[in-house]
Amino acid sequence: MAFVSSGYNPDKPMEDRITDIGNHHYGEFLPPVIKNNFGKWQWHEILEPGVLMHKAEGGDEVYTVRVGGMRLMSVEFAREICEIADKHCDGYVRFTTRNNIEFMVDSKDKVEPLKQDLMSRKMEGGSYKFPIGGTGAGLTNIIHTQGWIHCHTPATDASGTVKVVMDELFEEFQNMRLPAQLRISMACCLNMCGAVHCSDIAILGYHRKPPMIDDEFLDNLCEIPLAIAACPTAAIKPKKKEITSERTGEKKEVKSVEINVEKCMYCGNCYTMCPSLPLANAEGDGIVLMAGGKVSNRISAPKFSKVVVAFIPNEPPRWPTLAKTIRQIVEAYEKNARKYERLGEWAERIGWEKFFEVTGLEFSHHLIDDFRDPAYYTWRQTSNFKFTEGMNDYAAIKAE
Amino acid sequence: MATVEFKGKTFEIDEDGFLQSFDDWSPEWVDYVKESEGIKELTDEHRKVIDFLQDYYKKNGIAPMVRILSKVTGFKLKKIYELFPSGPGKGACKMAGLPKPTGCV
Repeated sequence: MAFVSSGYNPDKPMEDRITDIGNHHYGEFLPPVIKNNFGKWQWHEILEPGVLMHKAEGGDEVYTVRVGGMRLMSVEFAREICEIADKHCDGYVRFTTRNNIEFMVDSKDKVEPLKQDLMSRKMEGGSYKFPIGGTGAGLTNIIHTQGWIHCHTPATDASGTVKVVMDELFEEFQNMRLPAQLRISMACCLNMCGAVHCSDIAILGYHRKPPMIDDEFLDNLCEIPLAIAACPTAAIKPKKKEITSERTGEKKEVKSVEINVEKCMYCGNCYTMCPSLPLANAEGDGIVLMAGGKVSNRISAPKFSKVVVAFIPNEPPRWPTLAKTIRQIVEAYEKNARKYERLGEWAERIGWEKFFEVTGLEFSHHLIDDFRDPAYYTWRQTSNFKFTEGMNDYAAIKAE
Repeated sequence: MATVEFKGKTFEIDEDGFLQSFDDWSPEWVDYVKESEGIKELTDEHRKVIDFLQDYYKKNGIAPMVRILSKVTGFKLKKIYELFPSGPGKGACKMAGLPKPTGCV
């Protein structure tokens, strides 16, 4: 399409420029029933998976239908959301902090038509557009990142892996049969954008090879001291090098860096700071699984998630090993944990040696913390431990 | 990689319009960039910022932190934005010929 001006004048960029107005006030978009009862809610209940009811002091009710969202969506899809909101909810709709979509109606008789409309909508390939669920003690949406769609530092894909895992565990999204809510998150490199460090199960993109060094351009493209300071293990040091230019063929001395491969643990922080240190690698890159994190303060304090699987290869487009391993963890948790017990609380109660036994995951030396002084506190300073026996045996102990 | 020619000089630039090599910088570069950075006329204040950025980069190998830039030049951040509407990174560093800012920007 030919250029169409919005009215912006590139010759006078600062003229009529509006800045610092922030976002709209949320009050502008509240459904009337929410606006009228703001701060007056008395109680709520989950009527069925994906459907909530809140009761206000005056007796007003609001029914919320939560549906899964894919987060990465087209304008066409957003318009379809608006169309549904127009049809059933007077044009009001909201998104949750896990990127689900919530449609709200003010009376019970409006819920059924809305539900039927939502479940009748499918993609051409057969996927539900608006699957209802994500409430209570079940699996809700997966918080995830950019992956190969848009980022330049990923070690795996985000949208792809998330679709695979949600397909695998779709029933848990539509049901509330787990001991407590299960939060799965995904980050495509260990920048950990999002919630992987504090989720029940976390999928994390991971490299296994040190960066390549583009000596010819490094000093031109990078601020060398920043690349050095970016390294958590001090594997990088400045170094002058004799190189033969690939472009001109001339020999010259350039400023560059040297990486001590023995010290490098492939975090990729230096590539973030310096474009001449790329490290993505098709065979080397893959996924680390972590488990046992939470953010709420309910019963136990918030926890970090811990590494439980050191490496799963990237297997696009369906990542079968990833799906299988996550299913393994979820099944063991569902079968063994007590009511209200989050995955991390369960693992800590039974002991991590039991966690590995019950889930059938392999324990390798990669899982033993070796990062600076605090690593010491993650080792076992006690003779309290269990000999491990078997999954079914353990389930029997729990049943007693 | 694109090259641009301006007043008889050739500059190699990336897709964001940053110089590929600090050594290629010349006063003509500033004239070439200022248009796209929303700067009509180059004042002494602009030059003071550019000169300081270049001195600091030559001496330390990095661009200064914003607070250092403010403290040394005496220009508050607001003033720097008045001089360089795209800000100290995209505006001033680009004109000074420094490498493109990196990290989660």
